[in-house]
Amino acid sequence: MRNGGENRGRLLLVILIVSSLFLITLDLRGVNVLDGLRSGTHTALSPFQRAGNLVLTPVKNFVNDITHLGRTRNQIEDLRKQNQKLREQLISRKNQDGEIKQLKSILDLAGTARFKIVSAKVISQGSSLAFTRTITIDAGSGNGIKKNMTVISGNGLVGVVKEVFANSAIVMLATDPTFKVGVRIAGSQQIGILAGLGSSSANLQLLDNQTTIKVGDILLARGSLNAQPFVPGVPVGRVTSVSNAAGAVTQSATVKYFANFGTLGVVSVVVKAPKADPRDALAPVKPVPTPVPTVTVFVTPTPSPSASSN
Amino acid sequence: MLLRRFGITSTIFLLFFIGQEAFVNQLSFPAGGFSIFLILTLLWAALSTPEVAAAVGFGAGILLDLSPSTNGPLGHWTLILVLLSYAISFFSYGDENMRGNPLSLILMVTLAEVIVLVSYLVTGFLLGITATSFAQTLTTIIGSAAWTMVVTPLLLPAVAWLHDLAFDSRMRI
Repeated sequence: MRNGGENRGRLLLVILIVSSLFLITLDLRGVNVLDGLRSGTHTALSPFQRAGNLVLTPVKNFVNDITHLGRTRNQIEDLRKQNQKLREQLISRKNQDGEIKQLKSILDLAGTARFKIVSAKVISQGSSLAFTRTITIDAGSGNGIKKNMTVISGNGLVGVVKEVFANSAIVMLATDPTFKVGVRIAGSQQIGILAGLGSSSANLQLLDNQTTIKVGDILLARGSLNAQPFVPGVPVGRVTSVSNAAGAVTQSATVKYFANFGTLGVVSVVVKAPKADPRDALAPVKPVPTPVPTVTVFVTPTPSPSASSN
Repeated sequence: MLLRRFGITSTIFLLFFIGQEAFVNQLSFPAGGFSIFLILTLLWAALSTPEVAAAVGFGAGILLDLSPSTNGPLGHWTLILVLLSYAISFFSYGDENMRGNPLSLILMVTLAEVIVLVSYLVTGFLLGITATSFAQTLTTIIGSAAWTMVVTPLLLPAVAWLHDLAFDSRMRI
């Protein structure tokens, strides 16, 4: 009896393993039914993700405020001086204001480049247990979004559309370690390849060993054929350090992305790029140091009081 | 009876799956975070017979494969969870020292989580999924293990109670 039970268990295990292998084979062969299943699950989960986002946004904002307490101390001090009622209103509208600000900066960027964009809210961040850096947005094929379209924020490149569903899409962030983008240096037009490192920084590898790169150089997306996956001219990041290893074939550098991936609330997908390359038009202006005013004081010696009294 | 058990188990797993996708994934935890769904699966397997554990691993794997945040092909998580769930149950079922001791269960689930992630990574590499940097992988695995060790004691009483509810058993944990 016991042997019979054990045999049944082993048979079940074998059947389940074979079923799993069968599913893997079907998926790798590109069977459409499985894509439909994934798409259906994603569509079914979207409302829950939206609800979760709605519920957790105050919590996330609170945690974000706590972690950035040092940086925002001055701002908090200024706010304390304001009227209590106004401050409460500001806190309640903080989330909406942030999104509007992000959206405005995106529209400014897209307007300058004449990109046709579709804006979307970030409804979920991908699980990092899958070893990828992704976000889910609340716009999909119904909004004209297709796979391999460029995704931007007001500061610059965010990533590329990886999967598209009816009402949502998954975006691979530029921080993903498998992410690579062809870039050129604004001004000098030298080209290279930027690779994500899993953090807010990336590694730049120049293609020409004769070129030089310096800290502060601005990188723009070089653009792909038919503007997919990358539209040309999108600001990507700024060089923060240059590696001059002896014997290296080409120069490499560390680059900090312009986009702040920790606070992505609204992003835009470039659905149509202009025919003309915007070149360096989208490059952010380098900060110019404020000149220190020189004050010249002219002193005219006055006659001493004793002399005047006399 | 079988239908009742299947119904309760399916509902519990579905709710945890939605909870994972709608809430836990929304929060950015340091060092990779954790998966309450994976912890539930491994705990459930540890408390069940090997046959039930394999079947539960299969169902949970299918759900994880259908998750929007999954990178691999359909069946990838399924294969790993069928094997790992069966293995956990095989080693723990019948051993009351293991199943009756919360500390043993927590350590076993943590170890199983690490094995699951490493297996996912290795099989993913064999299936042609691009691997990430070694440092990031190591951080995620170690971070996930630490988070699992913290979260599992919080989930254990609820999972044990739900398991009792589904299987009409009286576990003493």
